[in-house]
Amino acid sequence: MSSPRTARRLNRILAMLPWVIANPGATVDEVCERFAYSKQQLASDLDLVFVCGLPGYGPGDLMVAYIHDDEVIVEMADYFSNPVRLSAPEALSLLAAGLAVLSSGQAPEALQSAVDKLVRVLVPEGDLGLVVDLREPELVGTLRSAAAGGDVVHLTYTALSTGETTERDIEPWSVFSTLGNWYVRGYCRLKQAERVFRVDRIRDVTTTGDAFSPPEAVPPPIVQYTPGEEDIYVVIRLHPPARWVADYYPVEEISDDESGLVVRFSANDAAVPARLLLRLGAEAELLDGSEVERAVVDMKRRIVARYASSVWPAEG
Amino acid sequence: MQKVIERILNLLAFLLTAARPVTADEIRMTVAGYDQDSDDAWRRMFERDKDLLRRLGVPLETLPTDTWGVEHGYAVPRGRYALPDPELSDEERTALWLAAKVVRLGGGASGPDALFKLGGAPLVTAGEPLAADLGSGGEVLADLFVAVTERRKASFIYAERPRLALAYGLVHRRGHWYVVGPEDGSTTIKVFRVDRMSGLDLEDEVGSFERPEGFRAGEAIPEAPWEAGPGDAEAVVRFDQSIAWWARHQLVGGSVVTDRPDGSLDARLRVANPEAFIGWVLSFDADAEILEPIELRARLLEKVRAAG
Repeated sequence: MSSPRTARRLNRILAMLPWVIANPGATVDEVCERFAYSKQQLASDLDLVFVCGLPGYGPGDLMVAYIHDDEVIVEMADYFSNPVRLSAPEALSLLAAGLAVLSSGQAPEALQSAVDKLVRVLVPEGDLGLVVDLREPELVGTLRSAAAGGDVVHLTYTALSTGETTERDIEPWSVFSTLGNWYVRGYCRLKQAERVFRVDRIRDVTTTGDAFSPPEAVPPPIVQYTPGEEDIYVVIRLHPPARWVADYYPVEEISDDESGLVVRFSANDAAVPARLLLRLGAEAELLDGSEVERAVVDMKRRIVARYASSVWPAEG
Repeated sequence: MQKVIERILNLLAFLLTAARPVTADEIRMTVAGYDQDSDDAWRRMFERDKDLLRRLGVPLETLPTDTWGVEHGYAVPRGRYALPDPELSDEERTALWLAAKVVRLGGGASGPDALFKLGGAPLVTAGEPLAADLGSGGEVLADLFVAVTERRKASFIYAERPRLALAYGLVHRRGHWYVVGPEDGSTTIKVFRVDRMSGLDLEDEVGSFERPEGFRAGEAIPEAPWEAGPGDAEAVVRFDQSIAWWARHQLVGGSVVTDRPDGSLDARLRVANPEAFIGWVLSFDADAEILEPIELRARLLEKVRAAG
């Protein structure tokens, strides 16, 4: 396979040529800005175009491309006067991005009309059949403006794994959504370290009046679970109806046969795999992990006790 | 890299101006850059180049070169090659570019490559502080998008059974991608989670089905996982005071919530998928309890007793 760099360079040439042809008199600066070229890169791509063309490959067959008095000239290249249609992955990612931002309620008006125009050329029948739903929890707006304004916020936060509620001040760097959940990443003044918080676990946000300056490079909007030294490991056998667990959680596959898929699951708290085992019921088996086993037994006892003691509601 | 790009520009110029399909041999003898001595070397190079053109979105087609269909050649039909100009204003291009910058699909930002085709990226460096990751995407998702937009039937394995489905829509919700549509020969709308499909293949025929008038893919997928299914039960769940705030975050429209004096709350909601519903209630440990119906209480207890 050809390298991605070759593909990107060729893509840019095939996009730049039609634009220059459609905009005679375009300056070097204009073309560089639009297509993210340095002057040198643009010159070398034009040199390359200059030696290409139609069979015969003599003057009159080759394209003409050069810079003259700061103007970019392309001639004899009519066959490249249209940009290449969008590939399916390109069209999907552009539209999905546009629809995602629109559904979040954060979009400028121009985005709606841009998406509408794209849909019209991509699906002339006019019905796209693509829906991207990225609704935001209420607190996302508050956190986002705090991140943009450099405002320190005070959080009331309940940890997912332990259920413990804490109060802390954080410097919010970025707010993002990954696989359906919203997160805020920032510096936690309580723990004096970088932390990621799940927004639906935040009970309350208030601004403190304190300001902060964000770091120069904010980490990318990805939540990555990295196993730590104190993590708990369990080995679980997943019967066929529970195989989805292996796609959903970061697990290590150990074996896979008729009896099921055996995975090693790590978490920073025993409650996480225990809760998962509860909801899998007979679809999974705990093969190894005594701490998690204790947690499962404890949860089972509490749930069974609650149901046994509760007053049954009157029917009807 | 220079040589590769020159050769491919020559190839593309040749294919775009030839008013007929041209054979591989003709390309080898005519287009500059293909003068390899060894047949093998030439074939490998030509395969790579075709692959690259297709990845860029170039519709490289194989067509018979004569009426008997004995020999085949390559063609790039101009009408299918060219991107119809969507006539985006600078402002619209900027909005789209910013959206593409902050939303990831398939591990990376949607990137400027596609935007170049639409007339280049605008000179803006500040991105919106929104950022969203829509999952791994990949070829499967792109193929399903083609199935939806070109209305081609899609075959795949789902829940260990082969299916042939009419993909009416592709929906991203709550972190997952879904295909919505009936199986061939049925009118019941089904929902298939994309990451649980395998062996996807599209039939060649374009426009092989019609979407029903007024069909809205987004409405076919319920807001909560326990609303997706064939069942139709009503349940009441009590959430203790300690976790009531979190339950409230997760309850969807249509649930009837009653606040109780001790800070706990009762929610009456529709359950179409008992498994998903019980899984959700169990995520609150012993701090939530199904009050009604008795059958769902029994199922939850059965599940809990079997766990471990």
